Amino acid sequence: MKVAPAKTNTTTATCPACGLLCDDMVIDNNQQQIKVLANGCTKGITFFEQPLNDIKPLINGKPATMQQAISHAVKLLKASQQPLFAGLSTDVAGFRSLYHLSQKTNSSLQHINAPSMARNMKVLQSTGWQTTTLTEVKNRADVIVCFGDISKHNPRFFERFVDIDGMFVQAKVRKIIVIGEANSNGIIKSNALEAAQILACRADDLPSITIALRALVAGKRLKSTEIAGVKLSDLQSLADTLKAAKYAVLAWVAKDLDYPHAELTIQNITETVAILNQSASNHSGRAAGLPLGGSDGDTSANNTNTWLSGLALNDKPIEHDCMLWVSSFSPEVLLPLKDKPLIIFGNSNCQFEGVPDVFIPIATPGLDCNGTLFRVDSSVVLPLKKCRENSLPTLSEVVSKIEKLL
Amino acid sequence: MITLLKNGKLYDPAHSKDGVVEDIYIRDGHITAKPNANEKISQTFDLTGKVVMAGAIDMHSHIGGGKVNIARMMLPEFQETRGYSEPEAHICTPNCSHPTINHATPNTTETGFRYIEMGYTAAFEPAILPINARQAHLEMADTPMIDKGGYAMLGNDDYFLRLLSQKADQKVINNYVAWTLHATQAIGIKVVNPGGINAFKFNQRRLNLDENNVHYQVTPRDILKSLSRAVHDLGIAKPLHVHCNNLGTAGNFQTTLDTMQASDGVPMHLTHIQFHSYGVEGDKKFSSAAAQIAESLNKNKHITADVGQILFGQTVTASGDSMMQHLNAKHASPKKSVIMDIECDAGCGVVPFKYRDQNYVNALQWAIGLELFLSVDDPWRIFLTTDHPNGAPFTSYPHLIRLLMNKSFRNEAFAKLNLDAQAMSNLPSLTREYSLYEVAIMTRAGAAKLIGLNDRGHLGVSAGADITVYTEQADYEKMFGRPDFVFKDGELVVKDGKVVKVVWGATHVTKPVFDMSVEADLKKYFEKYHTIQLDNFKISNDEIHDNGRGKIIEHTKK
Repeated sequence: MKVAPAKTNTTTATCPACGLLCDDMVIDNNQQQIKVLANGCTKGITFFEQPLNDIKPLINGKPATMQQAISHAVKLLKASQQPLFAGLSTDVAGFRSLYHLSQKTNSSLQHINAPSMARNMKVLQSTGWQTTTLTEVKNRADVIVCFGDISKHNPRFFERFVDIDGMFVQAKVRKIIVIGEANSNGIIKSNALEAAQILACRADDLPSITIALRALVAGKRLKSTEIAGVKLSDLQSLADTLKAAKYAVLAWVAKDLDYPHAELTIQNITETVAILNQSASNHSGRAAGLPLGGSDGDTSANNTNTWLSGLALNDKPIEHDCMLWVSSFSPEVLLPLKDKPLIIFGNSNCQFEGVPDVFIPIATPGLDCNGTLFRVDSSVVLPLKKCRENSLPTLSEVVSKIEKLL
Repeated sequence: MITLLKNGKLYDPAHSKDGVVEDIYIRDGHITAKPNANEKISQTFDLTGKVVMAGAIDMHSHIGGGKVNIARMMLPEFQETRGYSEPEAHICTPNCSHPTINHATPNTTETGFRYIEMGYTAAFEPAILPINARQAHLEMADTPMIDKGGYAMLGNDDYFLRLLSQKADQKVINNYVAWTLHATQAIGIKVVNPGGINAFKFNQRRLNLDENNVHYQVTPRDILKSLSRAVHDLGIAKPLHVHCNNLGTAGNFQTTLDTMQASDGVPMHLTHIQFHSYGVEGDKKFSSAAAQIAESLNKNKHITADVGQILFGQTVTASGDSMMQHLNAKHASPKKSVIMDIECDAGCGVVPFKYRDQNYVNALQWAIGLELFLSVDDPWRIFLTTDHPNGAPFTSYPHLIRLLMNKSFRNEAFAKLNLDAQAMSNLPSLTREYSLYEVAIMTRAGAAKLIGLNDRGHLGVSAGADITVYTEQADYEKMFGRPDFVFKDGELVVKDGKVVKVVWGATHVTKPVFDMSVEADLKKYFEKYHTIQLDNFKISNDEIHDNGRGKIIEHTKK
């Protein structure tokens, strides 16, 4: 008797594990076990190679039918005066359905990345900014200043956009300057990063360093010789490098700027860009900011909320008496402590401490179902593909069943 | 099921009907011939004495996509939470925010509702960055009540400029343009500050019509010639949509006049031409050049234009023109702005702006727009826009129509302007008043003809039954602000100015035949320089169908 060879199915997939949305991941789907064959990174491999967990809906930790779980969730939502929909880790269609449910149940919305998103939004809403996107970086950037460790959040940033020749700039002439920690987990292989100039400092030194850089770029003289451990002469030469650049990019990850009023640090960066762009005669080129990081569909949720409601998502503390937590992408997302009724719509591998009132496993966009996601630079929106057979419902399907019972 | 609209006064310029009293029959969403006597009429609306027009079409309104959403994000102060009534509440309920300062940054629900409440049944997003087209369509999909569509921006993308600088065959350019229309699900092609957005990335701050892009050594004139030719050769109805170089600068009228000649007689549409009709006369070196522009428009029959009227108040300017918006950012009010370089594709600039009637320049801008409306002879070649939200929110159209239809109302408004501006305008000497028939041309028949919407903008048999019914009154602002009935695809959706049924509308596209071999070179380009796969750039029909809520209507040139 012949044994049929294991079915192989090699395909290209789009990875939602970080804000870069790499759409060149080569994966092999063999008997539902996905293997990343090429263009993976730590985050991407973890995402695609997560097993499909055959988990049933749960009510108070006990297996239940989908219908029972939905009815119980509806009961909790009906009993609640002020529900909070949190986590919100999903794609555009998923967020859209949650948004409509929130309108019908008088619920508030808060994304798991609300604090870091709000740092950027505060700058946008206060002064605005001058920014660029990844294809421009790849083809134009001859000077890139990274405030902090970009690769920790976007592991393939250097490989895909910096260590490679662009249309108007060769990789070998790019100057990379890192202010803060670089390659902190030491696993990123990048020529550019190896050759980078590192101005080491702690994340919470960035407020003083960025204001000094902003002042120097504006042509101001500073009296001290050192700013938070960084030599003023190094900052002066960085300012000169920026002014001499053809296309300087200043990149930051809002998530790493985790201290009070970190938006002012971001504003120092974006206003440095504004000064560099002020007039063509003062400088030899252009400059642009680049907000990086991003994950759990944060850019998608924020954009979709903005066109549906007219307002960006925010990080205001929200009173609530019941929580619906949505976590589509990652099983590792830290869930809130359960002190109120808690409903979870989550990845089939969801780990949680304690027992939620209701758990309904949902399809992960880009793995278990199709989807649509915004890249971190907000300008590019990509389709996500279903990569494996499964019977998980999409978030929109679960939400529409709930809506019908409300 | 047959619906009868009985005894209405029809203003249907596509069929030369100027107030003709006639019945209209609707079957299956379309206007149909008078049925046989034995067929049952399911419902009848007695429209005796009422004005009946096709649904209005806004051929240039920024209703979706990146820069519009950035404007919303940047300007929370434009929004205020207030309650809503059914059926708007049905999609958009009490917690939802809605602009109360103005309608410059409406959310998608509000965009659809405010349009249909004015009798508009379609709006076209004029500046879709191809790389951002998916977002534009997602937002338009969430815009209820009206049909939509868009123009894809080319002419600042590095792929096109490489082709042009390498002196690629026009056929190659034509194929790329057609490929872009397919990939982005658009109905037209736009060029914004030809070559200028790209030049800004090379640190050029202005670009004149015959000035080279420093890198590519091609001029805006070369770009206009090539793109207008491509659009023409492909047989797309909508002429190349041109946002000229030098937007908003004193003396730019010469660029605009020269641009009219740049296509060698091939049709072009010059958009928001008010912003491009400025001279340098007078003490303040800023004057109206509306007379010169109108004279040239009257002469050059291959050119059409929309006005981009400004109206006083707070708004936000959202443009693909990163180069000129960067210059304008110093006038921002409130003081903030977003300028972006985007994906070797294009760029954008979002600058909030408050137009003041006591400000010399703003007052004159207002007058220049009206001078243009009143001095261009052929209403089939001039269109009513405010370049929403750049000149004013689209919700000000009824007010603008009143200004055009009522000379004394217009002169009263003029008398309140900055006195220096009054001295520099000949507006009071323009005694023309638009007729209902001319308004129907500008906002319906002309717009549909321009874009190539064969089944819209008219009331003939087989047209889609998008129909607006008004009560004629002396105050045209009231009349056009609140129709008695609006029918969308034959269904009654607005009654007495309020939405009674929520529908989702269709997306109008055009897909000219082209040689797919163009994709081989594009694929190489994507692999080398882009950061996404070529296949993911293309928007599928399924994405627009959106599980049955959306619909594609494909048009070919008659």
